[in-house]
Amino acid sequence: MRLYGNTIINNAEEEFGHSHMESPYLPSLGIIERSIRVSEKERLFTINPSNDSLLKYRPGQFYMVGLPGYGEAPISITSGPGEKKIELCIRAVGNLTNAFHNLRKGDSIWLRGPFGRGFALEELEGRDIIFVAGGIGIVPMRSLLKAVLARRDKFGRLTLIYGSKSPEELLFVEEMDDWRGAGMDVQLTVDKPSLGWKGGTGVVTTLIPKVETADKNTIGVIIGPPVMYRFVILSLNAKGLGAEDIYVSLERRMKCGVGKCGHCQINSIYVCQCGPVFRMSELKGMPEAI
Amino acid sequence: MSEKGFKGLVKGLLKTNRVYGTIEKDGFPAFGELSRPEDLVLSTRPTHLSAKQFLFPQREVLLRYDMKKGSHEAVIESGKQVLIGLHPCDIKGLNLMDRVFAHGVPDPNYLARREQTIVIGGDCVPDDYCFCKSLGNSEVESGFDIFLHVLGKGFLVRTGSDIGAALLSEHAETREPSAREFQEFRERRAKRDSSFKASVDASPEELPEIYSKSDESGVWEKIGAICTGCGSCNNVCPTCYCFDVKDEVKANLVEGERVRTWDGCALEDFAKVAGGHNFRKTRAERLRHRFNRKFRYLSGTFDSLFCVGCGRCSRACLVKINIVDVTNEIVREYNNK
Repeated sequence: MRLYGNTIINNAEEEFGHSHMESPYLPSLGIIERSIRVSEKERLFTINPSNDSLLKYRPGQFYMVGLPGYGEAPISITSGPGEKKIELCIRAVGNLTNAFHNLRKGDSIWLRGPFGRGFALEELEGRDIIFVAGGIGIVPMRSLLKAVLARRDKFGRLTLIYGSKSPEELLFVEEMDDWRGAGMDVQLTVDKPSLGWKGGTGVVTTLIPKVETADKNTIGVIIGPPVMYRFVILSLNAKGLGAEDIYVSLERRMKCGVGKCGHCQINSIYVCQCGPVFRMSELKGMPEAI
Repeated sequence: MSEKGFKGLVKGLLKTNRVYGTIEKDGFPAFGELSRPEDLVLSTRPTHLSAKQFLFPQREVLLRYDMKKGSHEAVIESGKQVLIGLHPCDIKGLNLMDRVFAHGVPDPNYLARREQTIVIGGDCVPDDYCFCKSLGNSEVESGFDIFLHVLGKGFLVRTGSDIGAALLSEHAETREPSAREFQEFRERRAKRDSSFKASVDASPEELPEIYSKSDESGVWEKIGAICTGCGSCNNVCPTCYCFDVKDEVKANLVEGERVRTWDGCALEDFAKVAGGHNFRKTRAERLRHRFNRKFRYLSGTFDSLFCVGCGRCSRACLVKINIVDVTNEIVREYNNK
């Protein structure tokens, strides 16, 4: 053992050329059990993990999901904690994600993780919660909703406000009756309604003022495209929610998941380690965050 | 240690190690692989590229796979190597890299290589861009196995590890320096110290706080307007460790590798996500990020600046953005507030 500065480096026990340390870049396999198209651009994958440690996740965490020959990207988990299969809902936007869409039952996928800090459900207990999801922000939100609804009696009033460009792009609509039945108010809004649309029209912030928050026990959870946060935060502030009461999950570019590659850095923090879930009060003094 | 003793040391090291050192390349000091001690040029101006390339290479394999067999394995490549002629700032840079790659989730690729690396430091000759002294980095106490101070005749040698001491006793003859040799060493050191031309106008302890008040400074727009976004500053920096990871498939379309390569926050796509949103759209934002990473963002985690004062970024900048000038402008703005 040798001491350099403040770093202790252990001698590699094997012959030189290899270390005995486990590589954090080595993925585990997942086998695709089901791949279904859920909208024009998204598919929902049900994955059987080869390794149980992959299943130890909290809502809001993510995996680095990869394919040989294509690379890796951070993908948030959409299944609920405790489930035996992993669900990922992936939008086809580039080479890698298009390659995911070509996978079928029995094909394998590479997974590393789960990474990051998810939602601490204990912190949310006893509170009324407004969940605000925009676009594919519903994907990680679904994991949280499942976790909350599984212990519905621990929480106060629950409201989901979910917006997308058009009714056709809304995801998990077929599950929403169950969510409503379990005791959550679900309100939908779209930018461009189509014939027969019964939900709201306009951005998600149009629905926030109508939510009941009189007893000051409400927290907000926001997951959506980057442009959405600022406006939703202002709307929630107007309802009396402060920085301590607002949770966000932030998207960033990521290449490693282990706090090294630098891509997800916001001011002094790494999103892959400190996030992606943050209380707004934790992002104070970080102008790059929102 | 005599000149002859030093040659014996290098020859001894060459038998069982790959040896890299400061040589002259096209009239400039550079790190290069050595096959004989005569090629070494000690007591040089700074090299264009830092020594990080030997611990954190520009391209390295993390995984190797076979898509037909469906197999994949982690790759951790390292071999015994010796780096000779690293200046105090270079060694300070490596010390920071050691901490980064050991922090949190350890990076076995870096650490395995570091473990097999012997570092032999050497004296420097500051140029117009060097400002390590003002950051307290012109002397180094740890992070090397041997440090060589060039004298008129032979070297004054310091050992920094047991391995260094063992190497010396194995390969070279040394004796206690005479009072005159010590005096010569002190004179040479004083001469070097008086030859620094650039310095930052604040102490290293004050800089994180000063930088924390610079987010709204006009300096970012000013340098952002001339920055070409080439990323040279990132490439040459001894403490820039950001990387990209991508897959490279062989022509047979069966075997492939996942590799990591240097990346840089000054490059346009660095913070861009799949949907097309760029979290740092402008060059001003990207430079503000880079400078803050050197002087502020990492100081909380590592209790150190991440600029060692080597001046490489200023030296390499195509449009002459100078890290000392920028920092001093921020110091001025802070003092005038």
